Amino acid sequence: MRRVDLLVLYAVFFVLFLYGPMLLMPLFSFNDANFATFPLKGFTTRHYTGMSANTSMMTALRNSLLVGTAVSVVATALALPAALALTRYRVPGGGAILSFMMLPLVVPSIVLAVGLLVVVLRILGIPLSLWTVAAGHLMLCIPFGMTVLMSRLEGFDRSLEEASRDLGAGGWGTFRRVTLPLAAPGVISSLLLCFIISFDEFVISFFLTGTDNTLPVFLFSQLRFPNRLPSTLALGSLILVGSAVLVILAEILRKRGVASDNPGDI
Amino acid sequence: MSAGSTRTGLSLLSPAFLVMAATLLAPVVALVVMSFWSQSGFDIDRSFTLKNYARLVEPGEGVVWYGIRFPFAYPVPAVLMIKSLAMSFVATICVIGLAWPMAYFLAFRVIRNKAMWIILLTIPFWTSYLLRVFSWKIVLGFNGAINSGLMWLGMIKEPLEFLLYNPVAVMITLAHSWIAFAVLPIYVSLEKIDRSLLEAASDLGDSRWTRFRRVTLPLSMPGTIAATLLVFIPTVGDYVTPTLVGGPGGMMIGSLVQQLFLRQDNAPLGAAVSIVMMLIIAALVGLFLWLIGYARMRKRIG
Amino acid sequence: MQRVKFIDRMAQGKLTRREMLQSAGAFGVGLAALPRKAKAAGGPLTCLEWGGYDEEGYIGSYVAKHGALPDFSIFSGEEEALAKVRAGFAADVMHPCNYSVSRFVNAGLAKEIDTARLSNWADVFPSLQTAEGVVLDGKVVMAPADWGNSSIAYRSDLIDPAFAADPSWSIFYDEAYSGKVSMLDNELVIQIGAMVGGMPYGEAYNLSGDALAAAAKDWGTKGVNVSRFLWTDASEVQQAMASGEIVAAYAWNDLVKNLKAEGIPVEYAVPKEGMFTWFCGLTLLNSGKADEALAYDFIDAWLSPETGKYLIEASGYGHANRKSFEIADPAEVAAMGISDPDALMASAVLFLTPTDEVQVEQNRVWGDIKALKM
Repeated sequence: MRRVDLLVLYAVFFVLFLYGPMLLMPLFSFNDANFATFPLKGFTTRHYTGMSANTSMMTALRNSLLVGTAVSVVATALALPAALALTRYRVPGGGAILSFMMLPLVVPSIVLAVGLLVVVLRILGIPLSLWTVAAGHLMLCIPFGMTVLMSRLEGFDRSLEEASRDLGAGGWGTFRRVTLPLAAPGVISSLLLCFIISFDEFVISFFLTGTDNTLPVFLFSQLRFPNRLPSTLALGSLILVGSAVLVILAEILRKRGVASDNPGDI
Repeated sequence: MSAGSTRTGLSLLSPAFLVMAATLLAPVVALVVMSFWSQSGFDIDRSFTLKNYARLVEPGEGVVWYGIRFPFAYPVPAVLMIKSLAMSFVATICVIGLAWPMAYFLAFRVIRNKAMWIILLTIPFWTSYLLRVFSWKIVLGFNGAINSGLMWLGMIKEPLEFLLYNPVAVMITLAHSWIAFAVLPIYVSLEKIDRSLLEAASDLGDSRWTRFRRVTLPLSMPGTIAATLLVFIPTVGDYVTPTLVGGPGGMMIGSLVQQLFLRQDNAPLGAAVSIVMMLIIAALVGLFLWLIGYARMRKRIG
Repeated sequence: MQRVKFIDRMAQGKLTRREMLQSAGAFGVGLAALPRKAKAAGGPLTCLEWGGYDEEGYIGSYVAKHGALPDFSIFSGEEEALAKVRAGFAADVMHPCNYSVSRFVNAGLAKEIDTARLSNWADVFPSLQTAEGVVLDGKVVMAPADWGNSSIAYRSDLIDPAFAADPSWSIFYDEAYSGKVSMLDNELVIQIGAMVGGMPYGEAYNLSGDALAAAAKDWGTKGVNVSRFLWTDASEVQQAMASGEIVAAYAWNDLVKNLKAEGIPVEYAVPKEGMFTWFCGLTLLNSGKADEALAYDFIDAWLSPETGKYLIEASGYGHANRKSFEIADPAEVAAMGISDPDALMASAVLFLTPTDEVQVEQNRVWGDIKALKM
């Protein structure tokens, strides 16, 4: 069983690589200094008081959570049928359409941002808000969602869906009972990727927002004031620890009662 | 395939396509059109010209950069393009190499609480990008975690300076930033491999390695290819990470585009550089897919 | 269940193109009907402001008079902010600096400020009232608000005493300090290099053509090679200075003040080639939709001595109103490395701004040096 051990060992190394640097954030958020270098100084919670007193930071966090959640859901909802179409059906010009939809991956974000801003303000005359930011993020996220979903849907045995139809299920029934469960891991991955992209995006958010800031717009603007660094570290720590605890709690609650041994279950 | 199936396909595709067309068409058309205009002083001359493209390939004295000769009158875009491609290429290999075993672990070793595992892998990315880069600076920095640790252990006397502000630091930070974009697609395609296929291969007497090579690896290809593209394409144009941890030489093709648009008042040239960059990336992606026989593969497993 | 039906029919391909178009149209109408802020004539004041300056402390008298903060749209770099305004974003007031204000003016985005409408104008340092950038082509286009110095901050415990005895900008071009110093990521590296080479600032700031190319070759390349990193944000350089990673850096007053407060031995040098002074201020934009009186109230609030006191104590930057130094905590003023603001203002080398053409050229040359660094 040596191979198994190696793989587990690797997973441990991987998690360390992923989380190790991140754990310095909580460490320095309690450090009694305005910058983050070793050796540590005294213990303080003042950075957390500073953070919670900073209402613009909290509003920015809320805005980013809102936009990120909405964008990941809508982008995935649009990407799933599109991915189905391109993997299951013969679509004339499918290759060209796919290439077009992948463009946001290559077009420099400054071009997309300024271009969209001109369209929104000069042509449509819509005032800037979180809605315009969300529209920009939607465009950015759909290609990622589609890529992940297509890699999931490609190569699946089509006979399952055909069987479902033969048994009299309609298109929607087949989708709900057969296709959606098959795509589930892809759907979850797409939701997560889209959320990360939207939550972290700066250029498009900056150009397409009016007076509502998203978190990256806020954080970039704080760089000019070095003394505000520790309260951003406090915020990062809170996000990190808070979301990890939430996810684990939710999983414990969900798994209470249902214990699945099916490796394909998600 | 019937005509009805084509129609279904089109109608499934159209919502996403319409959203993309509505948001993407104007910026992209503007970019293409602008690349054929020219800048004169502070005004844009809207008559058709190829001079932006000509400027990029105009032969001249050129420079020698790391032993490579760039015989152009304006060698900067070419140098930055090569540099960005090289950086992105190596970073992609690192990311895929690091992500693959983890995705395999997730797909085949984790039995319970899969969703939780996957979400936990993405949580570091829910903190801001700036904070992640900042954390890496604390790890690699002068009085950072690695140096302080080594000095505490008595292994070094003076902090190591080569850890930060060089291409290796850029590579590590990039790998960390993009790893979720590789683990998830690879996991998703590994996960769908029918366990019975693996058992069948074993029953037929295949060794673990043969089974891996003949069943697991080919079936994971769609995800691995997707991951490669999702990491390679955006990192070519990324310039924030190299600026933050790459030191004075951290300028990339993306920074040039940014500068041309914002600071140097030469949007037409910026547009031409962007388009050439996009075409080169597209050509490389096409070449990559052709080399690994993507079309054949799709037909076989599709 | 209307929605489910729609998807169902869509999935079966039963939806006609007409229906698809209708629903797409409805989506568009929905977008257009989304809640938007009231845009009555004389709408709310919109200020394009540095993130961090969007606080009541900086505009106390405005808030006292109007009962609320204006709408802030924050930015972190003037280039992006300029691009945003150019693309059509409407704002009433913007906060540029001496080196960027002319770009707003030349793009036709700014309007003249009537200083008679600013009650605090008379108390602004005289040298700032007439500084280039505040006044362009004989018109006041920016009301100066915050200012600071640009000089060399150094770790007195780590640096060669010879430098401390006779500080010079040459440290950023000296191979002996390779990897131990950090310059700003800006074409100033070329200009200051030329000054180290003996050129007066009045000439160096305006370098162009062959002279610029020569200075770039001599000094720009050296500057890029010697710096450990070229800094773009103040947090980065403060962090590196605190850890001892670099022993000297191009820095503003706030860095010295912040690090001293943490007990780190940092001094602010007065280099023999000169110490610079930069300033930022408020500019009226002509795309604004609010009543102009609101914009003047906002600018006047920024110029008040109370704001100056808050700025000095909270940020470690200087303020344009002389009186603010009288009411600010003297210890805080001293911590910024300023003993006599009047004398400093009178003798400081105010940054000069070359024409836009020269700025663009210098920026391009600077970008090219960085790009070709090996």
